[in-house]
Amino acid sequence: MATPWKKTKGERIFDVINIIIMCILTITFLYPILNVLAISLSGSSPVLRGEVSFFPRQFTVQAYENIFTNKHIWRSYGNTIFVAAVGCILGLAVSSLAAYPMAFGDFYGKKIYSFMILFTMWFSGGLIPTYLVIRELKLLNSHWALILTSLAPAYYIIILRSFFVNIPVSMIESAKLDGANDFVCMTRIVLPVSKPVLATIALWFIVSHWNSFLPPLMYLNDRSKYTLQIVLHNIVLEASGKLYEVDAAVHAGEGDMVIAQQVQNAVIFVSLIPMLIIYPFLQQYFVKGVMIGSVKG
Amino acid sequence: MEVTDTKRQKKTYRTKTDSKKVRSKIWADRYMYLMILPVVIYYILFKYWPMLWLRIAFYDFKILKGFEGSKFVGLKHFKNFIKNPDFLQIMWNTLYMNILSILFCFTTPIIFALLLNELAAGKFKKTVQTISYLPHFLSMVVVVSMVKNVLSPSIGVINSMRKGMGKEAIYFLGEAKYFRPIMILSGIWQEIGWSSIIYLSALSGIDPELYEAAVIDGAGRFKQTIYITIPGIAGTIVVMLILRIGTLLSVGFEKVYLLQNPHNLAVSEVISTYVYKRGMINNNYSFATAVDMFNGIISLILVSLANKLSKKYTEISLI
Repeated sequence: MATPWKKTKGERIFDVINIIIMCILTITFLYPILNVLAISLSGSSPVLRGEVSFFPRQFTVQAYENIFTNKHIWRSYGNTIFVAAVGCILGLAVSSLAAYPMAFGDFYGKKIYSFMILFTMWFSGGLIPTYLVIRELKLLNSHWALILTSLAPAYYIIILRSFFVNIPVSMIESAKLDGANDFVCMTRIVLPVSKPVLATIALWFIVSHWNSFLPPLMYLNDRSKYTLQIVLHNIVLEASGKLYEVDAAVHAGEGDMVIAQQVQNAVIFVSLIPMLIIYPFLQQYFVKGVMIGSVKG
Repeated sequence: MEVTDTKRQKKTYRTKTDSKKVRSKIWADRYMYLMILPVVIYYILFKYWPMLWLRIAFYDFKILKGFEGSKFVGLKHFKNFIKNPDFLQIMWNTLYMNILSILFCFTTPIIFALLLNELAAGKFKKTVQTISYLPHFLSMVVVVSMVKNVLSPSIGVINSMRKGMGKEAIYFLGEAKYFRPIMILSGIWQEIGWSSIIYLSALSGIDPELYEAAVIDGAGRFKQTIYITIPGIAGTIVVMLILRIGTLLSVGFEKVYLLQNPHNLAVSEVISTYVYKRGMINNNYSFATAVDMFNGIISLILVSLANKLSKKYTEISLI
């Protein structure tokens, strides 16, 4: 709250300090990301001497050339896009189907139905039982395990419902008088006016699938099925270059291959590109989503 | 007798019309039932069926033999876990990580929101906000990779600075005493902007007239913050704190797992990583499930307590 009145000296000093703090924080938020980009674009000697911080030194795109010819990275990219796309579309469909009766329905069993969904926010089977169920369903080593385990989380359903309940019921009632059934009401009336919240949830699905690490770690064991985060983990944190035939791997003795820093960082940056592209939408819609969740959750 | 008879007659009469009504109501809602059908099937298959599988915690479950070939052992695995020398260590690591997280990761977004709120509305404020949300969208693998970059003894900025000051480089990730600071600092870095959103929205809900009145009374900005701004968001802070306490015994798996190495295992092993290792790596499904279930039940109690408290204080609740 800036006051229109004259500021005291102390207040002016505070303002300056505050702006300095904010600038330092902003640099801190950005530094690790810029550092990744800078290292990936630098020559190896300045990287190894620890001279690369914000900007690349001895600019080269060799690391990216390495990656672009690597079929493992491309394949994992494709796998991740498949999981995120299918997971998002199916997830939106099932979540909407789940939320509509909660918002507009007045049917026998609605309470049990709502409880059945909400209870999963408090208690779940947990890691091992879920794994065993996926195994029973013969979904191990399949992308469908990733899609189906996070198809319609209770939290998303609640967010959708709390948006739906603000839609005037009269719109639906009058449509029903004209002979429309609930499916028609949902697809023709409710979903079109809910575009903002649907966009929010779509982005939630995409981001969570893109970033998810534990589920693919548990359910996938075939290299050709791996998602990006798993490949990233293996290349950057385990530095197992041999597994992925990354060319810029260097010997580290004992027959081990260590991947050059530039290539590791190039892989990180490549994995970030889609997130950075959708980031403007993300932060706009996500902030809205947090608001919806906090006000009516 | 007669009286009860007529009563009974009335009752049967009523249930007859009722069941007719019920049937026609169910028929009228047939599309609703059709809609929830796939959802119910999905929830039963993927959320409730696993809960049934929780009973392997009471068996010596062998995956190849199934339930028929597995022996019922009662509470053996629970007892083993509690008697295990690792038990106290793991529980303490989990709890301590959460206490630190509440002390630092919970409080800093409030301070950040207050400081942001003191900035004049405009491009600068907007830019700072937008950039501060960015780390929230990075995956844990990427965040840990960045931690590794920044703290690297050879290429990291922290060690470059130390070398610049003539000090020795430290291999931060290889020393147990740095594990918790790394967890907390990277947690603050990743979530401070994002977590501040809820406080910023609470701040924007404070009545501007209060500030105008305070200015007339001669209150400076510091006093306004103490007497108006902080009381104005106190309710939100309390609710967020209560909800946070509900998750006092859960530490996210991914970051701990990724930062874990043999050097820091004594401080870094938490329930979620222990369950994963025992279950998925050692294939000790029953024991891991027992540990997970033990934790799940305590968490369930904590969350429902938190929810009750939150309902008591405000209208806002989890459900």
